[in-house]
Amino acid sequence: MYGGLVKELLDKKGLKIGDFAQIEFGNSKEIVKILPNSEFTEKDILVAKLENGYNFGIAVDEINNIEKVQYKEKSDDFTEPESPSIELGKNLPKVSIIYTGGTIGSKLDYRTGGVYMLLKPEELIANVPELSSIAMVHPIHLFSVASEDMTYLEWQQIARTVADEIKNGSRGVVITIGTDTMHYVASALSFMLKDLNAPVVLTGSQRSSDRGSSDAFMNLICSVRIAAESDIAEVGICMHKSSSDDYCQFIRGTKARKMNTSRRDAFRPINDLPIAHLGVKGEIYYDSDYNKIKNDKKEIDLADKFDEMVALLKVYPNSDPDIINYYKAKGYNGIIIEGTGLGHTPVSGKPEKSYLKNIKEAIDSGMIIGMTSQCLYGRVNSKVYTNLRLLSNAGVIYCEDMTPETAYVKLGWLLGNYSKSEAKKLLDKNIVGEIKDRTLYDEFLI
Amino acid sequence: MDEDYYKSIGFMCGLEIHQRLNTREKLFCSCTSKPIEDDEKPEASIIRYQRAVAGELGKIDAAAKIEEGKKKAYHYNIFKNNTCLVDIDEEPPHQMNKDALGIALSLAAAFQMHIFKELEPMRKEVVDGSNTSAFQRTTIVGLDGRIKVNGHDVLIPSMMLEEESAGIVSNGEDEAVFNTDRLGIPLVEIDTDPYIRSPSEAKDVASYIGMLLRITGKVQRGIGTIRQDVNVSIKGGARVEIKGFQDLGSMDKYIENEIERQKKLISLKEELAKVGWNPEFGKFEDITDLFASTSSHLVKASLENNGSVIAVKVKGFKGYLGKEINPDRRIGSEVSDYAKLAGVKGLIHGDEDLKSKYRFSDSEISSIYSRLDIKNNDSFIMVTAPKAKAEKALNYALERITYFAKGVPPETRSVYDDNLYTTRFMRPIAGGSRMYPETDAKPIIVTDEMVKEAELSKPNLENAIAELKEAINDETMIKNLLLSPRYQLYKEISSSINIDKKVIADILMQKFTEMKREGVDVDSISDDTLKSIFEMYKEGKLTKRGIVQMVKAAAEESPYAERSRLYRIAEERKFRKLSREELLQIIKEFEEKGSKNILASIMKEHNIDIEAEELKDLLNNSKV
Repeated sequence: MYGGLVKELLDKKGLKIGDFAQIEFGNSKEIVKILPNSEFTEKDILVAKLENGYNFGIAVDEINNIEKVQYKEKSDDFTEPESPSIELGKNLPKVSIIYTGGTIGSKLDYRTGGVYMLLKPEELIANVPELSSIAMVHPIHLFSVASEDMTYLEWQQIARTVADEIKNGSRGVVITIGTDTMHYVASALSFMLKDLNAPVVLTGSQRSSDRGSSDAFMNLICSVRIAAESDIAEVGICMHKSSSDDYCQFIRGTKARKMNTSRRDAFRPINDLPIAHLGVKGEIYYDSDYNKIKNDKKEIDLADKFDEMVALLKVYPNSDPDIINYYKAKGYNGIIIEGTGLGHTPVSGKPEKSYLKNIKEAIDSGMIIGMTSQCLYGRVNSKVYTNLRLLSNAGVIYCEDMTPETAYVKLGWLLGNYSKSEAKKLLDKNIVGEIKDRTLYDEFLI
Repeated sequence: MDEDYYKSIGFMCGLEIHQRLNTREKLFCSCTSKPIEDDEKPEASIIRYQRAVAGELGKIDAAAKIEEGKKKAYHYNIFKNNTCLVDIDEEPPHQMNKDALGIALSLAAAFQMHIFKELEPMRKEVVDGSNTSAFQRTTIVGLDGRIKVNGHDVLIPSMMLEEESAGIVSNGEDEAVFNTDRLGIPLVEIDTDPYIRSPSEAKDVASYIGMLLRITGKVQRGIGTIRQDVNVSIKGGARVEIKGFQDLGSMDKYIENEIERQKKLISLKEELAKVGWNPEFGKFEDITDLFASTSSHLVKASLENNGSVIAVKVKGFKGYLGKEINPDRRIGSEVSDYAKLAGVKGLIHGDEDLKSKYRFSDSEISSIYSRLDIKNNDSFIMVTAPKAKAEKALNYALERITYFAKGVPPETRSVYDDNLYTTRFMRPIAGGSRMYPETDAKPIIVTDEMVKEAELSKPNLENAIAELKEAINDETMIKNLLLSPRYQLYKEISSSINIDKKVIADILMQKFTEMKREGVDVDSISDDTLKSIFEMYKEGKLTKRGIVQMVKAAAEESPYAERSRLYRIAEERKFRKLSREELLQIIKEFEEKGSKNILASIMKEHNIDIEAEELKDLLNNSKV
């Protein structure tokens, strides 16, 4: 919102955002539309739109005169999009689409600059008409939280909503979500949804859907297709497979990771193959083993508690092992360490840089400490080197081929739903596909 | 025709000039601004689809919608030095290129524009695939400038700094291929007001603006680096934008043809009103079965490719589609251009000679007529293609036919025939609803220092003329040089090689034009090679005529030749200028032979490797 001189001027002239005004400056006289400023707009600059559609910023002291005018916007010859014939696909499988934020399935309101959700199926289908031939979509607006702001509380809410939707007859569920922490959420849902017998698909977009090149449309179409047509009974992430709009891929929720800040193919399987990939024409190709939907399974159940007193800690050269004591003193129940290489922390160099003593004390005090690798790819190992054996002997649990994020979510979930001793036992045992016994040759850098 | 005539027909004309700037890097990333060499191969290629999204005001632009109707796969070629993630819509834009902004501001100063304190980068929706993001980043820099051409003030209402689009490599029915090397190169768009008074004045204004751009010394040159689009309308007509001029010389002729086209469309409208014609069409008829044993190659080929033949009656339209409205362009061509939007190759209509042009048999023709129930004054159009595509094509075509009752549709047209100066429909004219803010780029503050700097560095025509006068002192040549795309090259060579500037100007203007006329591809020679040739002249290794011969040889043999190669060519072809010793030797030989007019005799044999004045001096001196 404007302040200072701009606000003064607008107030004086009775002008509001969205009003038309005749503005005089230099030798120019223009009819403009008053626009809101952005967080980057300089002080005392008024932002306005010219008739040709361009925005510009003008300093208040450049303005010779400004007066409100009545003005009718030009409308083009055949511009108004005719309302599409809405076909809700009543005979198709029901797919719930849960909005949690992010720009998929949302529309930018240029008047306010805000994003609003397309909550009516009609609106959603008008925007992504391809959906009407895949499923009877049932949109739900759960909340709008930026990915980076999400906590386990939101994960729990999503898990409960998914369970409700499946109980209410949805064949599959699509969750649209911001991409930054999508892989944490995918892990959390993988653990929280017990006896899952339906596809649960998380998706998002790396380019916002207000641009014609957005990946949102294809991601949403492919996700709904997985939910409506596949026989996969797992939680996973469905996004672009490559930079091209040729395939999307469905990656197991506990094995996915965002590996690029901005590319549309940012989500990659880590120590795993994708479960499936899908072409633009709707074909589904299955790439690896997965849990299949069964006819005689019991109803979905929830194990949605989470212990937030768990930390994810990266060790690095010169780092201070006191950090372990910090968490211990704060009453944390567990730490997942992102170690170097096969799962190291400094142990035998300078005593003040060694983690060993602090880790041992923490474990002895009852904390669970798990080890993963900042290499991300590959499996940690507690036996190859002496230093590893030292950590392992101190009671550190080596988390096999889990990503640090998944191990973190798993430990929080275990501590929330099981006793400490059970949690300790289960951390390095596979529950929902997060740990695999075999690491395959072709899983690296894909 | 004189200006009064154009006034009387309500002639309106304005220009949109797009000029690429010669910065080191692109506008919003650090890729090189230098396009790839012609034969450079891409290192990768990606495929994308795009869709029209609502503009800022909630409307989908008409032009955007029609392009989307084609649902094409866009292939983008990626080049190592020219493409990064920003260019392929995989990374947000970096800061706006300061050099590009500086050049734009200096032009704004030259046009005496009002420069805004805060620039707001916008997205202009582009759905023809020529931008990977489906929009072009564009920023208005200044407003309300002016230039004086032929003593007449031409206003420049606005100037934009924007991204160049991707270059199209091929455009098929279902897919288009683009190179991304060009994408994102900084570009200024300069718009004039619509009050240019005649087609020839349009040409003059375009020349003048081109000249100012070149005087900055900071614009790219070569084919495609400047584009001059013309907007034309007449009373009762509509604004039509013509794109794709390669040569300013014939701009006026295209405008004349557009005037003619609009006049014809207006009189068609009047004629249709007189006979009370209303757009009325039959149902789409699938008449594929009529052509089971056709001898029409066109239909046969289409049927073999899963095609159908779909036709529709156009009531009361007999005789109109065949009317010529421009040289070799008919009303039917207008309709066919629209049909092509659906990705078909064209359409067949009732006013054509179906027998000789398409080899339809009499019985096929009469079957068409009876199936469509064609009465006396009816006509029809038909398309052969896969059914859905054919129907889409017919829908576009009927949309166009409907408009004949309204007159001239506002359109963007492209140059169609270089020899007849005709144009063809590209897309409906873009409206204002295709703009929205570029939320990934911050607004840019224009400081007082930047404005001051722009004022100091702005291109100044008077100075440029004065400078040329001192160097060349030949008014015609000065004028030609300033209007020539080679002006910048002249500046570069004359500032780096210390030789008579008249020689440089003469070679680049007169001699280049002559050589071009002879069919020598002088533009293919690289700047470095050309500079080397002038260096050789400076070293005394070439005569003036030798320069011309070397340029020809380089163009034919080795446009990128390095110095050593050029020396070799000079030796082999006897272009090397002879030394004083060699000259004396030759004089001696001719004297011994007893030649009468030694000067003329020697020059007859050595007109390339000897400079006549030098020989004359030598002869005079040796006599003394």
